[in-house]
Amino acid sequence: MTILRINDVFLQFAGSNRPALQKINYQIHQGDFVILLGSNGSGKSTLLKLLHRQYQPGQGEIYFHDKPIRQHHYHQFSRQVAVLNQNVADSLFTSLTVYENYLLMNQQHTLRSRHQEGKTFLQNYLQDFNPNLSGKVDLTINQLSGGEKQALALALCLLEPPSLLLLDEHTSALDPKTSEQIMQLTQKMITQHNMTCILTTHDLDIALRYGNRILMLNDGSILNMFDKDEKGRLSKDKLVRCYYA
Amino acid sequence: MSNLIISILTQSLTFLPLAFAISISYHILRATDMTIDGSFVAGAAVFAKLITMGIPPLLAAAAALCCGAMAGMLAAFIQRGGRVDPLLAGVLATFILSSANLVLMGKPNISLLSQTTLVSSAFEQGDLVGWALTAGYVMTLCLLTLALIKSRFGLTLRAFGDNPALLQRLGKKVELYRLAGFALTNLLSAAAGVFTAQTVGYADIGMGFGMTLTGIGAIILGHQILRRCYSRPYFRIGAELIACLIGVLLYFFSLNLLLSLDINPIYLKMILGILLIIFLRAAVRPQTGSSIS
Repeated sequence: MTILRINDVFLQFAGSNRPALQKINYQIHQGDFVILLGSNGSGKSTLLKLLHRQYQPGQGEIYFHDKPIRQHHYHQFSRQVAVLNQNVADSLFTSLTVYENYLLMNQQHTLRSRHQEGKTFLQNYLQDFNPNLSGKVDLTINQLSGGEKQALALALCLLEPPSLLLLDEHTSALDPKTSEQIMQLTQKMITQHNMTCILTTHDLDIALRYGNRILMLNDGSILNMFDKDEKGRLSKDKLVRCYYA
Repeated sequence: MSNLIISILTQSLTFLPLAFAISISYHILRATDMTIDGSFVAGAAVFAKLITMGIPPLLAAAAALCCGAMAGMLAAFIQRGGRVDPLLAGVLATFILSSANLVLMGKPNISLLSQTTLVSSAFEQGDLVGWALTAGYVMTLCLLTLALIKSRFGLTLRAFGDNPALLQRLGKKVELYRLAGFALTNLLSAAAGVFTAQTVGYADIGMGFGMTLTGIGAIILGHQILRRCYSRPYFRIGAELIACLIGVLLYFFSLNLLLSLDINPIYLKMILGILLIIFLRAAVRPQTGSSIS
């Protein structure tokens, strides 16, 4: 089932003399783990922002569940499409506690009623993501480590599992060990909830290990596409080799 | 000496809602709301004008608070969509309010000395009764605000100050929270204006000048002192109120001390400013390992 359809999308920012994205055509199916590879300025993050309605395409249309995304009710759309950035401060309320963040992102628990019940639920829920986090529900986000923040951001955006998860280099600020843990956790959650995921990265290793469809972007266009059975071709691709040389 | 203490306490009491408003604006909305200068005068002006027109004091106070809230909404409206910086929006709103207040008052000063106000009958029974009633009004207002900030609405307001973009992604109407937040702070400021007008016996067009900056200085001072004795990693609205009280008390202590030393009033704000800098530098703990360039 096609979940997302990108039709001839073009975007040029005001004041720029070259397009940020051009002639983007692609279809993403339910359960796909799509990796966007490319150098800085290739258009990966811009494409993700278009998919999350942070930008509007200059030309073309993006369809989510066969309906143009701009026609989806914003609140409903935000519940179905979650985004996680490299900068975790974009995905969390950093001056608030872990529990307060949970309360804001989950409407079911109020402050007074079932207060303890909410905390217990959160502690148990976080255990799956990062055992350290479950004991830190009363700490502010600023007091957590980078890995804990990223695990928490992932946990909170999966409270109500979205159908599409957009990950914009969400592990790039972490050390290799923590990055690996977060990636494994991400994949586990994606499989568990049968979500569709689009991830931007510079890491070829991540692309090869986790992605089942890989897009190579360059200068705002899709330069090459690889399916999971073509990963061998990806590592031999001239442009990829040139980029990672 | 007792006169000095009473003077400090009474001045601090009427200034407390304004300091609390600045604290909410500064620590929760993360904006320096200069409108507070204008809404302080607006509160006093509307209250005084309505009282002189024979409107019952409670109704006049309610109208003054509403005017303060509307001044806050004006500042929020100017900022709408993040197009104008909160500081500039506040300055612009105060600029508009300075004319509006003068139009409303009809003259630069309205006396309330011969009028019946919310606390006048209590003051007739004695100063202690009068100040106790004023304290009752102020504390009720502050505690109601405290309860509001501790509610889910307050939590969302804090989230708005922290990360409005994320709050919008969660489907909340951020402009509504901006309006509500600025309305709340300016309502508190107008309340301070109402209490001040009643206790000093007049409303004056220039009475709000520099209030926001004085308040910011006082709350930062209170905050730093409180942090030395009570350190919590997370936000506590009760602690914010206590910090306001400490800061305001210290500010009025300094002010009254200078006045009792017969300092020329021309130099008052300059000396207070320097004192505030000294207090702040003494209160702020240096960061371990930080370099000084």
